Amino acid sequence: MSRRNRGEASLQRGAGGRRWRLIRGNLDMYLLLIPGVIFLLLFKYAPMYGIVIAFQDFNIFGGISGSEWVGLSQFEKLIRSDEFLQVLVNTLLISLYKITFLFPIPIVIALMLNEVRRMFFKRTIQTIIYLPHFLSWVIISGLFMNILSPTGGIVNEFIRAIGGEPISFFTDNDLFRSLVVFTAGWKEIGWNAIVFIAAIAGIEQEQYEAAAIDGAGRLRQMWSISLPGMLPTIVLMFILRIGSLLEAGTEQILTMYNPLVYENGDVIGTYVYRMGLGQQDYSFSTAVGLFNSAVGFLLIVIGNMLSRKFLHRSIW
Amino acid sequence: MKKAFKLISVIAAVALLVSVMAACSGSNGKNGNTGNANSAGSGKEAPKPVLKRLNVWANEDYNTYPVAGLLEEATGYKVQHDMLPQDKWVEKLNLIMSSGEEYDLVTSYSDMALYSDYAQKGALVDLTPLIEEFGPNIKTAIKPESIEALKVNGKLYAIPTTVTYKINSSILIRTDWLEKLGLQMPTTTEELKNVLQQFKEKDPGGNGDRNVPMTIKGDQAMIDNLVGAFGMPNAWNDVDGKLVPRVMDPAYKDYVAYVADLYKQGLIDREFVANKDATAKEKFSSGAAGAIVVHWADIPAIYDALTKNQPDAKFAYVPALKGPAGEFGFGANAGFDRLTFIPKSAEHPEDAIKWINASLEPETFKNLAIGVEGTHHKVVDGAYEPIQPIFTDERNLANNFMAGTDETNYPQYWQARVRKNPVMFEAFDYLNNKLPEDAKKENALGLAPYMKEYSKSNQQLHTMLNDYTVKLIAGVETIEGLPGFQQKFLEAGGEASSNEVNEWYATVQK
Amino acid sequence: MYRKTIKDYALDGTIYVLLILMGLMTLLPFVNVLSKSFSEEWAIVSGRVGVFPVGFQLDTMAFVVTNSQFLRSLWISVLISLIGTLASLLITSLTAYPLSKRELPGMGVLIVLFIFTMMFNGGIIPNYLLIRELGLINHLGSLVLPALISVFNMLVIKSYFESLPSSLEESAKIEGARNLTILFRIILPLSGPVLATIGLFYAVYYWNDYFHPMLYINSTSLKPLQLYLQDIVMNADTSSALDKSADDLMNVPAEGVRAATVIASTIPILLVYPFLQKYFIKGVLIGSVKG
Repeated sequence: MSRRNRGEASLQRGAGGRRWRLIRGNLDMYLLLIPGVIFLLLFKYAPMYGIVIAFQDFNIFGGISGSEWVGLSQFEKLIRSDEFLQVLVNTLLISLYKITFLFPIPIVIALMLNEVRRMFFKRTIQTIIYLPHFLSWVIISGLFMNILSPTGGIVNEFIRAIGGEPISFFTDNDLFRSLVVFTAGWKEIGWNAIVFIAAIAGIEQEQYEAAAIDGAGRLRQMWSISLPGMLPTIVLMFILRIGSLLEAGTEQILTMYNPLVYENGDVIGTYVYRMGLGQQDYSFSTAVGLFNSAVGFLLIVIGNMLSRKFLHRSIW
Repeated sequence: MKKAFKLISVIAAVALLVSVMAACSGSNGKNGNTGNANSAGSGKEAPKPVLKRLNVWANEDYNTYPVAGLLEEATGYKVQHDMLPQDKWVEKLNLIMSSGEEYDLVTSYSDMALYSDYAQKGALVDLTPLIEEFGPNIKTAIKPESIEALKVNGKLYAIPTTVTYKINSSILIRTDWLEKLGLQMPTTTEELKNVLQQFKEKDPGGNGDRNVPMTIKGDQAMIDNLVGAFGMPNAWNDVDGKLVPRVMDPAYKDYVAYVADLYKQGLIDREFVANKDATAKEKFSSGAAGAIVVHWADIPAIYDALTKNQPDAKFAYVPALKGPAGEFGFGANAGFDRLTFIPKSAEHPEDAIKWINASLEPETFKNLAIGVEGTHHKVVDGAYEPIQPIFTDERNLANNFMAGTDETNYPQYWQARVRKNPVMFEAFDYLNNKLPEDAKKENALGLAPYMKEYSKSNQQLHTMLNDYTVKLIAGVETIEGLPGFQQKFLEAGGEASSNEVNEWYATVQK
Repeated sequence: MYRKTIKDYALDGTIYVLLILMGLMTLLPFVNVLSKSFSEEWAIVSGRVGVFPVGFQLDTMAFVVTNSQFLRSLWISVLISLIGTLASLLITSLTAYPLSKRELPGMGVLIVLFIFTMMFNGGIIPNYLLIRELGLINHLGSLVLPALISVFNMLVIKSYFESLPSSLEESAKIEGARNLTILFRIILPLSGPVLATIGLFYAVYYWNDYFHPMLYINSTSLKPLQLYLQDIVMNADTSSALDKSADDLMNVPAEGVRAATVIASTIPILLVYPFLQKYFIKGVLIGSVKG
C-alpha cells in the first residue's frame, strides 16, 4: 500500500499533466462521490456554524445573531474552575489505562476465535461476548454493585471464605479507576472484537495453506499471517481511538461513582454534568465539546503522521 | 457474478423503499396540519379547532386514554396530544419553544427558571386578559396566591397545578423488631440512636453479617426528620429573621456530628455512599435493614416484597423526632407540580383558554379527577374511595390531563389516588393528616417568585453541599474544614443567592 | 494433511478455556436481566434474583409484548433499521470506493474533511434547525438521512478496499471495465466480511439510537423502540436531579416490567449477528472470482 503511494507520488512529480489524465480517466470515480459529498456538505458542514456558540453567551431565543459575543470566557470558565486540573488528570489517566489494557484484548480475542475450528462453539462465543454491549450502563453498574457488595456480594463472600477482609470496591478511591477500566472492558471487548474478526475473515485462505505446507506452526501462522493481515484495521482503529482521549466514559462513570471517589474518578464529562455547569448553558457545553474535539483531532492528525512514518500505513 | 446482480436489485429495492417511506410518513404529518388550518379559518360558527397540546411524559398514549374522550365530550374540543421525553425534557422543550412549533398548550414540570426565561424572552402569551374574558372558572379555581407567585414582571403567563400534600418522606422502621426487643417507638434523636444500637447488637432480624440498622441512599445526606430535629427541615431556614442555607446554619455542625456518629458506630449502612435508590430499598425489603428513609409513594412495592420475604414483618414511620434543643419537624412542600402555558406561536390561544376554562368547570373537573360516583369512586365517611380496578384503569393518568386544578377541592379528590393502596394510604395519612400541624415546616421558598441568582446556582450548590456532607458523614473530611467549605460555597453563588433570597424575604416578612 | 502436535493441543486447550470463561462472565448481566423479566416483582425488589428466576411467571413479559405502544414502536424500529442499514451500506460503499484510491487527486483532502466531522459538529441547535428547514421534524426521514454515512464505518470499508489485491482491478481494467462495474462485480462480492460487519454496525446504530428520535420526533405513534425503552428506564431513576411528585412515583413501572422491556427490545437486534455470521466465517474466496 505504502510503496504504491510513494510510487504514485514520484510519478506525479515527474509529469504535471498526469494529474489531469488521472482525473479524466476516472471521472466516474468522482461521480460516485456525489451522494457522499452532498451528505457531507448538507448534514455535516452546513450546521458547523454552531461552533461559534462556544464564543458567545448563547440565548436560544435570540439565536446566534442575537447573542452576545464573549470571546474565550467560556473556555476560561472551564480551565479556571477549581477542580479542572484534577479532573483533566483523571480523564487522561482513565483514558490511557483503557487504551493500554482494553485496546489489545479484542485483537487477541479475534486471533483466538480464528483458531477455533468448531463452528458452533465459535458462533456461540462470538454472540455471547457481544451481549453486554446492548445493556445500558445503569444496568451493568447495578449488577456490579451487587456482585462486589461488601455485604453479600459473591466476590466478598469468597474473600471472606478464604479468610480475607471484605473490600468496599465502589467506595475505595484507590480501586476506582481499575474498576472503571475493568467494567468497561467487560462491556465492550466482545463488541470491539467484531471488526477484527471481520478483518481476519478477509485474509486469503491460501496464505494459511501455503504456510502450513512450509511447516509453520499455528502460533507462527497467527504471528506472521493473521496479525499482519489485521494490521490495517488495527492501525485505523488505534488512530481513531486516540481521537476520543478526552472522553473517558462519562455515562459509565456517572452511574458508578460517588463523593468518596471523586478524587480519582471525576472526569471532564462527569464534572461538567455534576456541577450542572452545562445545564441550559449551550455556550459552555459547546465550549467543552470544542475543547475535546480540538484535542482529539490533533491527536488523530499526529497519530496518522507517526503511523505513516513508522508503519508506512495511514488513513490518508 | 450472479451475486452482483442480486446486490444491484437489492439496492434498487432500497431506493424505492426509502422514497416510499418518505412519502408515507410525510403525508401523515401534513394532513393533520392542514386539517387544523382549514377549520380555524372558517369563521366563528365553524366547529371548534383541534387543539395541539404538548404534555409531560406518561407511560400510556394520551390520545387513547379514557380521560381524553371524557374531556372531548365535556369541552367540545378535540385535543391532539404529544409528549415530551422523560429524560432531557428541558432540552427538547427549549428547542420546541425557540423554534416556534405550533402548540396551543404546553404543560411541563414546574421549573421556575425555565418558565421565567420563556416569559421574559417573550415566548409566552400573557394570560391575564384572556382569563378576564374567557376564564370565569379559572378565576374561581386558582387561588390568588398561586397567581401571584407565577407573575413575571406583573403579568401571568401560566396556570399551575399545585402540589397536593405537604410531606414526602421520613424514617420507616420495623415495628416488629422494636416489639421483639421490647423497645418503644423512638421520639427523640437520642432514642433513635439507642434503638439503632440495639438493632445492631441484638440483630433481631437474624441477618448476621448483612445486618444494617438503618439504610439510606447515597444522595440522601440530609435525612428527612433528622434535619428537622436539628432545626433545618428545609434547604433554607429562618434563622433570626433571615433565610439561611443549611451549610451556613449554626445547627449544621451538630447535625453532621450526630449523623457521622451514627455512621461511625455502624448504625447507618456502611455502604450508603454507593447506594442507589434500588439498593437501599433492596436492603429494607429483603429484611436486612431495620429502618430506611423513603417517600410514602414507594411503600407499596416495599411492602409487597417485605411481607413475601418475612410474613410477620411490620413497619411504620417514626414520628417527628425531637432534637437536643427540642426542635422537630418536616420540610413541607409548597408550590407547583406542573405549569401550563400558551406559546406565542399558538394558532388558537383563545380556544386554548376556553378549553382550560371548560376543563375547570367544577363537575367536569371532578369527573376528570375521580370519575363518576358509584362507578369510579364511592364516598365513605366524607372521603372519596376509589372503586378498583376501573379507577386505576380510567383515572390513573388523569392528573396529566389537568391544566390547573380546582385548588379548594382537589387535595381531597386527590387522596382517592392514594387510597388505591391501603398500606400506602396509612403511611401517607400518618405523615400528612395525623402529624400535628406544627411539625410541618413550610418551605418559605416554595411560593417565592423567580430569582435569577438563586435559580442559576441552586442545583450546583445543592450538589456541592450534598457531596461535602456525605464526606463528613463518612469521615473522609473533618468538621475543621467547614469554614473553608463555607467560603467556597459562598463564592460559588451562595452569597449572591443569599442576598437575593433575603431581599425578597424581607418584603414578605412585613 | 497437517498433523496436530502436542503444542497445538495445548494451544487449543488454552484458547477454549479462556473463551469459555469469558463467555460465562459476559453472559451474566444478560442472564440476570432475563431472569428478572420472568421473576415475581417482590423477589426483584428484595434483590433475590441472580442467575435464575425466582417465582417464575410469564405475565410480565406477556404484558410488555402485547402493549400496543410497544408493538407500534417495534414496527417503527424495524422499518428504520432495515431501510437505514441498506441505504447506509449503499451510500457508504459508494463513497468509500473512490476514497480508497488515494492516488486520485483530491481524495486525501476529502478524507480529512470527513474525519474532521468525526470530531467537530455544529451541536444540537443548528442540526435541529436544519432538520426543521428540511421539513423533517416528526418525520422518519429525520432519523435516517442525517445518519446515512458514519465516517467511522466508511473508513473501515475504505481500509478493507485498500487491502484487496490491486491485480484484480487491473486485469478488469485491461478488459475495459468501468470503475462502477468493477465496484459492483469484483470489489463488493469480495467484501462479504466487511459489509456484514458494517451492516451490523449500522443496524445496531439505527436500532439503538434514541437521541435523534428524542429531538426530532414529537408524535407518540412515530417513536422508535429505544425512545420508548429509554423513557421507561429513565422513569425509574428516581434519584435524578428532578424531584418527582408522588403521582409520578406511584406510576413508576415495576422493575420486572423494565427488565422485560429491556429484553423484548434487545432480542430482535441480537438476532442480526448470528444471521450475519456466515459472512464472517469465510469471505468469498478470491480464487473463485478470478476463475
